[in-house]
Amino acid sequence: MTPVAERPGTDSLINRIAAGLPPAAGRIRWVSLGATESMELAELAEQAGRLAARLHELGVGPGDRIGILAANSPAWVLLDLAALRLGAVTAGLEPHKFRAPDELCARYGLTLLFTDQPSDHPAVRSMAEVARLVEKGGPQPGLPVAHYPPDAPTTLKFTSGSSGRPKALAATAGSIDLSLGAVQQLFGHGPGDDLFVFLPLSLLQQRYWVYSALLFGHDITVSTYEAAFPALARVQPTVVMGVPGFYETARAHIEAQAAHDGTSADEPGDRLRDAARRLFGNRIRYLWTGSAPAAPATLDFFTSLGMPLFEGYGLNETCIVSKNHPGAHRPGSVGQVLPGKEVLFDEQGVISVRSAQPVARRYEYAAPGDSERTFGPDGTVRTGDVGYLDQDGFLFVQGRHDDVIVLDNGRKVMVRPIEEFLRADPAVEQCVLFCVDQTRLVVVVAPATDPADEQAVAERVALANRTFDHDERISRFIVAPEGFSIGNGLLTSQFKPRRSRIREAFRQQIDDPDGGAHAR
Amino acid sequence: MHADAERAARGSLARVLATGISPEDLEPDADMAERYGLTSLNKVLFMMSVCDEAGVDLSCFTEHDIARLRTLREVADALAPHCGKAV
Repeated sequence: MTPVAERPGTDSLINRIAAGLPPAAGRIRWVSLGATESMELAELAEQAGRLAARLHELGVGPGDRIGILAANSPAWVLLDLAALRLGAVTAGLEPHKFRAPDELCARYGLTLLFTDQPSDHPAVRSMAEVARLVEKGGPQPGLPVAHYPPDAPTTLKFTSGSSGRPKALAATAGSIDLSLGAVQQLFGHGPGDDLFVFLPLSLLQQRYWVYSALLFGHDITVSTYEAAFPALARVQPTVVMGVPGFYETARAHIEAQAAHDGTSADEPGDRLRDAARRLFGNRIRYLWTGSAPAAPATLDFFTSLGMPLFEGYGLNETCIVSKNHPGAHRPGSVGQVLPGKEVLFDEQGVISVRSAQPVARRYEYAAPGDSERTFGPDGTVRTGDVGYLDQDGFLFVQGRHDDVIVLDNGRKVMVRPIEEFLRADPAVEQCVLFCVDQTRLVVVVAPATDPADEQAVAERVALANRTFDHDERISRFIVAPEGFSIGNGLLTSQFKPRRSRIREAFRQQIDDPDGGAHAR
Repeated sequence: MHADAERAARGSLARVLATGISPEDLEPDADMAERYGLTSLNKVLFMMSVCDEAGVDLSCFTEHDIARLRTLREVADALAPHCGKAV
């Protein structure tokens, strides 16, 4: 369904932004390592209107696609908002994942592509041109005001994919409305808040916080990935939007700083709190984590320092499904299910998500059968995760269905609790459990130290074997020569281990009955 | 390498790595990501720490500058011209 140009729609949140209704309050700040810029949100809305007029003159209209292949910047935010003003569809292309701007125009049917990469293609524009377009003139009189029906897409979002070319989802305006409204109900962001965003704006979820600022009048700071840590103490945000890998790194830093700076007279808890405040500032109301499961120890760590870290659950295909929040949180859970979402379980406990406003009903640019495997006819998404709801409606996710190992005795082994147990050891950075011949479990461990502390790994594996059931006994462990990373292809861009690639990389040792070391 | 910058860089890197490696055992020309598993986020924490110790304003560097620094020697050499100029 293509957006239509008509009277300003205030019936939905996204249409309030599309209509350019100015926010009552709030500022946006952009931070890079060497510079900080800031403006009133009202000025941002005004500049987005001017940019929309220039893009319209360049031939962009309702339903047209504008690609953005660039690092976080003011121009990124302005392009996204200008596209909404025109009823266009943005394609947020993550710089680490996509190259070759010329090819992308044809592949994704882009009317224009803005990038900070060089290109001579006629449809490719430099991000630097955005500022010039904004300055070029005022708003265009009579520019039609876009209105997105609930099923109309506002953006193409790309899934990580375990291999090959990313699949796309044409995310609907209705699904964005639903998520923005539900999150606001839980967290009540408003004047006095400053939400800190540093993950790529190519991820739609990160742009939600810009939309939220425009709608609810709070401040927002958008940082480059590299400037995130240096900026935090300077900016003093009230909320940080992160992922588990970010908080794991922050935790290690806080612990190291506390150990380095402290004196024996200080209480350890006080030293940690001081170090945490030096990193995150003094105003943290809460920390948000998503995209991957967070280690329980890390959740506890920040919460004990007075910076509650709230975990939730959702996939690209479902958007946010559940979330712990100040009003309702339960350790070990991913929170209660949000209004407008429903979780269903099959006989094996596999979670499906039904939404009043589905993100999409199929993939684009996917292999035949991909969509049918994930989406039901009504847009219900089969997540592949296994879990349950407790009596109070808190959702517990026990693991990926793919990560459930069914042994030859018919018993099931949930790998996540075992992997979490192993990862809690300082010698273990990451680990992935595999099953050989449906009988023996083998774990591949990425060491946290260099050189690897194989003795400590062996002891942790032995402890796991004493802790978990007989069926969950690990027979061998393989210590990887280096950590899993995005660079070596063993982690996704969301810092999740790529199981199939790790399996392939260590196939010989995993399948060899004497590969690696035998566990006690 | 500039002595103060090198000392600051060695101490900060050893602390960020938190692997028990001593500052003097760090190899000045080893690729910090490949040899020591320094992640991009940890690299920024390392640069924050080393700038703090060396009295250098981190804002002297851009994202591209940081991305280009691969070894301890490169970090120390990049710090040296700014040592003592922090605001």
